[in-house]
Amino acid sequence: MNKTEKKNKIKHTGKKNRDLTLMSLPAIIWYICFCYIPMFGIFFAFKRFTPKPGESLFTNLFVNSPWAGLDNFSFLLRSSDMPGIMFNTLTYNLLFIILGIVIPVFLAVFLTELHSEKLKGTIQMVMVLPYFLSWVIVGYLLYAFLATDEGMMNHFLTVFGKDAIQWYQSPKYWRFLLIVTEVWKSSGYAMIIYLCSITSIDRTLYESAVLDGATFLQRVRYITLPHLRPTICTIFILRIGSILNSDFGLFFQVPLDSGSLQSVTQTLDVYVYKALMQQANFSFSAAASFLQSIVGFILLMITNSIIRHIDEESSLI
Amino acid sequence: MKKEKDSAESNQYITPQSSAYSKTMNIMMSAGFVLLAFIVFLPILLVVVISVSSEASVREVGYSLFPRGFSLDAYRYLFRSGNYLLRSFVNSVFITVAGNILGLMLMCPLAYALSQKEYKFRKPILLFLMIPMLFSGGLVSSYMVNTQVFHLKNTYLALILPGLCSTWYIMILRNYFQTTIPGSLIEAAQLDGCGHFQIFTMIVLPIAKPVVMTVSVFQIFAYWSSWYPSLLYLDSNHTELYPLQYVLVNMDRSIQTLIRDAQYMSGMDVYTPPAVMVRMVMVVIVILPVMILLPFFYKFLKTGMTVGAIKE
Repeated sequence: MNKTEKKNKIKHTGKKNRDLTLMSLPAIIWYICFCYIPMFGIFFAFKRFTPKPGESLFTNLFVNSPWAGLDNFSFLLRSSDMPGIMFNTLTYNLLFIILGIVIPVFLAVFLTELHSEKLKGTIQMVMVLPYFLSWVIVGYLLYAFLATDEGMMNHFLTVFGKDAIQWYQSPKYWRFLLIVTEVWKSSGYAMIIYLCSITSIDRTLYESAVLDGATFLQRVRYITLPHLRPTICTIFILRIGSILNSDFGLFFQVPLDSGSLQSVTQTLDVYVYKALMQQANFSFSAAASFLQSIVGFILLMITNSIIRHIDEESSLI
Repeated sequence: MKKEKDSAESNQYITPQSSAYSKTMNIMMSAGFVLLAFIVFLPILLVVVISVSSEASVREVGYSLFPRGFSLDAYRYLFRSGNYLLRSFVNSVFITVAGNILGLMLMCPLAYALSQKEYKFRKPILLFLMIPMLFSGGLVSSYMVNTQVFHLKNTYLALILPGLCSTWYIMILRNYFQTTIPGSLIEAAQLDGCGHFQIFTMIVLPIAKPVVMTVSVFQIFAYWSSWYPSLLYLDSNHTELYPLQYVLVNMDRSIQTLIRDAQYMSGMDVYTPPAVMVRMVMVVIVILPVMILLPFFYKFLKTGMTVGAIKE
């Protein structure tokens, strides 16, 4: 290759890189505006935010607001609601992680074996439908069952001679109700993820297992589940990483923001929203967000490295 | 040759012979799953039935799957109630379509660039896209930046812009571009003097239609269901911007507006069905498009899940 040819080639790849960069640029600008600029917001958590009207956000945050050290965090963690909020967030999330893996895997394993492809397809489609409804809609669906005067549940209760229940005033039922609602909404979608993965298993493996006399459960135990392990681990790691996050809609909109249910519906995300929008307490809200992010990140890294030690292929990073 | 094809097919589909279920077992399991699917569907069916129940029936037997009488009063009332509902419907459609198109315009070219192995900035950009998945500034700061730096409060842009891109969608697109579009095809086009812009629009996009549809489906459903941005960025003086979902969040206030509109339109007191009935009709109006589109979109959803599972 002589010199000019080489030069041309470099020029050529240079132009190619430039074109590709031009194509990437719009999305990169979006990421800067809506993901990276807001990252400066972690400073809200370490400042006592005292904005002066008429000045820009950054002047207000960096110049006009004094440093608060870890004060926001210690106030936040010492507030009397916090133990309950943390307890709710963690227990709901742990239950959702476990149920969100066990139930869909169970369904997928048993659905795969149905003979009729058509029936399988229809069942999947019906079961994934709730996933695409918003929490607002889900809230109304639940309301049709639980409304005090006309609701289906109270109608049944009175028909059987029992007293009607004020559902939206009775916290004791709501842990169960929220768990059922979450399982109803998300199981179908997760089931399809596992179904897709099961379809990619070579069926001849099963056939030879049958020849060796393996029962159905043995085939599930030794062929299907090991094949699903990487998918399950990926989902598990990601869910652990968002263990302090919760579905705002489920805990705010589905109980219709009922004050008497707060003890069982208040999670960290609901707190972050209320601190921001109803009390305008920016610093507390930001401190809570920061905790969510940093705790989630650390847990994700720890879980990932544990899983990598056990089985390298199943780890996320 | 034919035999090979047969065995390849039997790998994909379960035949009565290869299934673990015997004939009776299959019938039992099918019945079980049909029952389960029915239970999952029950709440949606209930709301549809409520929306066409007569007021008298609701007073008598409450919300029931077997109402005593039917009536379309609540529907008639809503469609007569003037511009408010129509406006919010149009808002929802507009936000969905605009968000989807803009999102694709940003994500597809980037995904194409990332699918090119010789692209110099491929690795740094991948890292740049991964970081926001692990770490975000949180609600307060994105709220403050969106309202005070970009001044998005009470605009359509507040409902559209923050949801345009997602690293996960970009990965799906890139995986598909990488695995299904032969590198030799792109090289041949380059030898013919095509630049990347031409290759992308003339060759890649037409081949990649299925995966572009997949991402569209996810985005369309996401924008159609979105209500949280409205809760954050729209205040009660801007009801003309409300999408359907947010009208439902704000229903108590909205019912008043509806009644005022209806009275204004007809110039007198009109029949008003119970507020709850009107809500149920609106819930049906929101659910119906999803139910109608899902069967058509379903195969694209599955493409997405299969392609999305490929790891780097």
